This record gives sequence, C-alpha cells and structure tokens, in this order.
Amino acid sequence: MRQRSLIAITAALAAGALTLTACGSRDEGGSSDTGSGTTVVIGVDAPLTGDLSAMGLGIKNSADLAAKTANKDKYVEGITFKIEALDDQAQPSSGQQNATTFVADKDVLGVVGPLNSSVAESMQKVFDDAGLVEVSPANTGPTLTQGADWQTKKVRTYKSYFRTATTDAVQGPYAAQYVYNDAKKKKVFVIDDKKTYGAGLAATFTDEFEKLGGEVVGTEHIDPETKDFSAVATKVKNSGADVVYYGGEYPQSGPLTKQLKAAGAKIPVVGGDGMKDDEYINLGGSASTGDLATSVGAPVEELTSAKDFVADYKAEGYKEPYSAYGGYSYDSTWAIIEAVKKIVEDNDGKLPDDARAQITAAMQNVSFDGVTGKVSFDEYGDTTNKQLTVYKVEGGEWKAVKSGTYTG
Amino acid sequence: MSGVGPVEPGEGTRAWDAPQADAVPAPEPSHGRLALVHARHRRAVFAASAAVVALAGGGYLYATRPEPPAPPAPPYPSQVLGVHYLGPATAPAGTPRGSFGFEVELSVQAGPPVTITRLTQPYAGLTLRTDPHIPVTVTSDTPRKIAITMRVTDCEKVPENAGLPFLDVTLRNTRAIEAHSFILGERYARNLNDALQVACSNDFTSSPKA
Repeated sequence: MRQRSLIAITAALAAGALTLTACGSRDEGGSSDTGSGTTVVIGVDAPLTGDLSAMGLGIKNSADLAAKTANKDKYVEGITFKIEALDDQAQPSSGQQNATTFVADKDVLGVVGPLNSSVAESMQKVFDDAGLVEVSPANTGPTLTQGADWQTKKVRTYKSYFRTATTDAVQGPYAAQYVYNDAKKKKVFVIDDKKTYGAGLAATFTDEFEKLGGEVVGTEHIDPETKDFSAVATKVKNSGADVVYYGGEYPQSGPLTKQLKAAGAKIPVVGGDGMKDDEYINLGGSASTGDLATSVGAPVEELTSAKDFVADYKAEGYKEPYSAYGGYSYDSTWAIIEAVKKIVEDNDGKLPDDARAQITAAMQNVSFDGVTGKVSFDEYGDTTNKQLTVYKVEGGEWKAVKSGTYTG
Repeated sequence: MSGVGPVEPGEGTRAWDAPQADAVPAPEPSHGRLALVHARHRRAVFAASAAVVALAGGGYLYATRPEPPAPPAPPYPSQVLGVHYLGPATAPAGTPRGSFGFEVELSVQAGPPVTITRLTQPYAGLTLRTDPHIPVTVTSDTPRKIAITMRVTDCEKVPENAGLPFLDVTLRNTRAIEAHSFILGERYARNLNDALQVACSNDFTSSPKA
C-alpha cells in the first residue's frame, strides 16, 4: 500500500513538474506578437538635453516603461502603445513647437509632460484647442489648473490639462511650516529665478513664512543664464538671514549654495522639487550638506506600490535614474492608457473616430492604484493625491526627513 | 574408433574445459542470485527503478521550483491612514480660558491596524490634548473620531494667519514607525485662525493662563 502511494505521489509530482515546464515554454514562445492591431502614440515632452535633462530623461524613460508594461500585459486588447519623445530644452518656445507637432500627428492621443510650468503655459492652449489631453508629472505652478487668481477665485482654464504632481499652493506653505517650526529658522533671504515656477514657489513660501511670524530680511532675483552669484552671496551674508529660500532649479541653486558658503554665509539653502536632484549635490559639493528641499509625493522607494516600478526600471537597464518625477511620469502615462482602455472598451474594442475628445473626457474619471498611490483628478485637473516630503542633504545624498499629506 | 589419430584439441575443446561428471559444481557468484531475482521479479524491479528515478526527478523539480511570491509587505502607515477634519467642537467643560476644540476622523484604508502614538501641533504657543488619549489604534473597518482640545499658552508664539497649518502624527503598524504631517486644509486653517484670534483677544492676552 505504501509503495503504491509512493508511486502515485511521484507520478503526480512528475506530471505536475512537466505541466509547469510546458506552461513556461508556452509563455516564452508567445510574447512577441504585439505588431497587430492599432498603435496609439503617447507623446512625451521634457528637457532631454541641457541642464535639466537629468529630470527630463527620467520622465521619458518612465513613460517608456509604462507603455512597455501595457504592451507586454496586453492591457488594452488590440492596442499597442508607442512613446514618441520630443526635447523642449526647458524652453517655452520649444515646448510650444513640440505641442504643435504632437497635435499634427493623428496617432498621438495623449501627451505626458512637460517638466517646467513655464513650458506648460506655452503648450496648454495648443493642446486644448485640439482637444488633446496632456498629463504633466511635474508641473507645480497653481495657475496652470486654477487660473491666475487661484488664491481668491479658482477657475479652470483648460479642460485638457491634468497633472499628477501636487501644486506649489501646498508645497510652498509646507516648506515654510517646516523651516519655521521644525528647523526653527526665523529670518529668511528669498531668491528666485523670475520664472513661472521659481517665482511662484518663492511667493507661496514667503506668504506662509510671514504669516507664521517669520521675517523676510532680503529678496533677490537671479538670472538663470549666469552661474556667478557672488554679489547675491555677499548680500545674503550681510543680511543676517539664518536661512535662504530659493525658488528655482538645481542648475542654479547648486552653484549658488557653493558660492554662498564660500562667501561666509554658512546657512542652509532650502528649495522645492526643482532642486531635489542628485545633480544639485554634485554641483554644490560639500557646501550642499544640510540644505533642504521639498519634493512632491512620498519617497518612491518607501511606497509599496512603487516596488514593481523600481524593479522594472532597473531591469529595463535605462542609463539615467528615474529621478524626482519617474513615478509620476509612469502614473501620468498610465492615466492616458487607462483612458484609452475605457473608450476602446466602450466602443466594442475599437478606437472611436473622436478618440482625442473622448480620452480627454475619460481622463476626468480615471482612477487607479499607481506607483505613487491612488491616481485620480479633481475638478481642476489636479491630483487628488497630495503628498510632500522634506529632504535634507546628508552624507552626499538626499535623505527624507519628513513627509506630509494634504487631506483638506 | 576409426584409427584416425586424435584430433588436436581446438580452442575451447580441451578436456579440462569440460566439466567432469563427478566434479562438484562450483558455487555461483553472488550476483547471479540477484540476476535470478531480477529475472523472476523483472516487472517489480523495473517499476521500483522507475519510481526511484521519477522520485529523484520530481524531488529535484520540487526543490528547484519557483518560489511562490512572498505575501506583500503591509503598506507604510502614512500611506493608509487618513486624518480628516470634521469641524469645530465645544471644548470640554472645565477647560481653562484660551481653549478651543475641534474633531478629526481617523481612518485606515487597508492593511493592518495603525496606532497613533503621538499627535501634536507645531506652534510653541499652543498645547494640545486628545479624547480619547493617545495612543489610539484604528482598524481598517472602523474609523475613529478624535476630539482635540488646544489651549493657547503664549499668544506671541502662535501664527497670526497660517495658510496651511497641520498636525504632526507619529504612526505605527507592523511595517514601520513614521512621523507624518497631516495638512487638514483651508477650513481647518480658517477655524484655527478664528479660534486663535478669539483666544488672543485683548481680554485674554493679559492673562492667557487664567
């Protein structure tokens, strides 16, 4: 009896093993057929060259990963997604040209990007006139979704514009609260680069810092085309400030912190998401130690939902890191994929003739668990997932020190 | 006999090669017995051999099978806890002047229970206490309402008109312990600022601890 049982178990195991082996073989053999059906192009606009390319390439690669994942999983039956990326060089004029190019290509049914709020301003109308949906993973300027008078009367201007990054309406005040209450800094020198993002962020920071009781002991605007900040550094040193707030991006703030410390102003520089990149530390060197930056979202590495993204990004072998906006770019791309899926399934498995318009309409109701958490949009096109993290430069890298969630 | 001489012995025909009739048969080597057994029980032996091979193969495949994916780690507590502002509430009877109250609701979207081990606000001129007292544990199926009473201790050290005030919360679940801020939004900011203005009105600032 025992012998028979043994033989039966062995046979079962062997049969099971053979079955598993057969299954594995079948999977490997049938995964390459993605050429049939309809190809949907998702445009990506970001700075792929120049000072901000570290962030831009992370956006592009992450969008590419989302498209590949959807294709591999055949997430939308009969649809193959393809990424076409254009370089805006962080210039509004280039962004507008790219927007026109995307609009002219009938296969483009959605666009991810851009990085810069100033670039977005130049693209929004072009996309909106064409009914082509745009989902930015990185724009934080409040006016893009809530209008010029967003502090007193929020008005959505463009129905085709969405974003997965939270806004400076939250980021600036959150930074001010941290600097004033946690870092115990009471006198700030505020510097910005005069651009939409930098000036806007500096303004929201300043407003909250003063409300809290902090004092602005000096303000200065810099020219983002230069890297000599010695005159500003001297002003900061003589101002009696115990902290500097910079509204702008790392190509300028990296050299700025170096020159501030060299001038004898041994005080931390604080900035926003445009500063939170490893390149800031490379540019600032040891002078960047102790500096702070807020960035959108919780640290991607700490999100359970981001585990697959981090592993898949590594497996794809992209040369550049996903940077600050990788997870948001993946989610922006996936939001477009979800919208495409919705309209295809509602149209008997085919793209409707007015696909662009339907995708824009469907985007408003998109909701899914993304890399960065729950992805959905409010009535202005802003993300409903509003998290922020304060990072500090310690030991040559950014380390998360505090995170916050906007639940209002 | 034919008179023909004896034939030269050929290979294998030598007389000593032939067994003698009266000779005792040499004992068979031991493997011969096994062979005999093999012959008698060939089918059973074959089946046993096949079973051993299959068992070894199956065991190998079983041992080297792909590991089933580990169960997903619980989410970080800050990713599943919601703190939602409900509105102003009457401060408990007997609280000192300069006190005011409001309520928040704590909820857990998914995963294991989350325990709030610390709940504070960031301003030096304010103190805070809760009902129920901290620590408070929240499960995914039952939101909990928390009454918060704040008291102004120094009007010089409270914000005049904070735009996005928040609560600092220390959270714990089976995954991690985290410090996290919850920014409760514009309505909380408005109500807090109103309450602070009342608390720090002229009558009050002269004796904030009355």
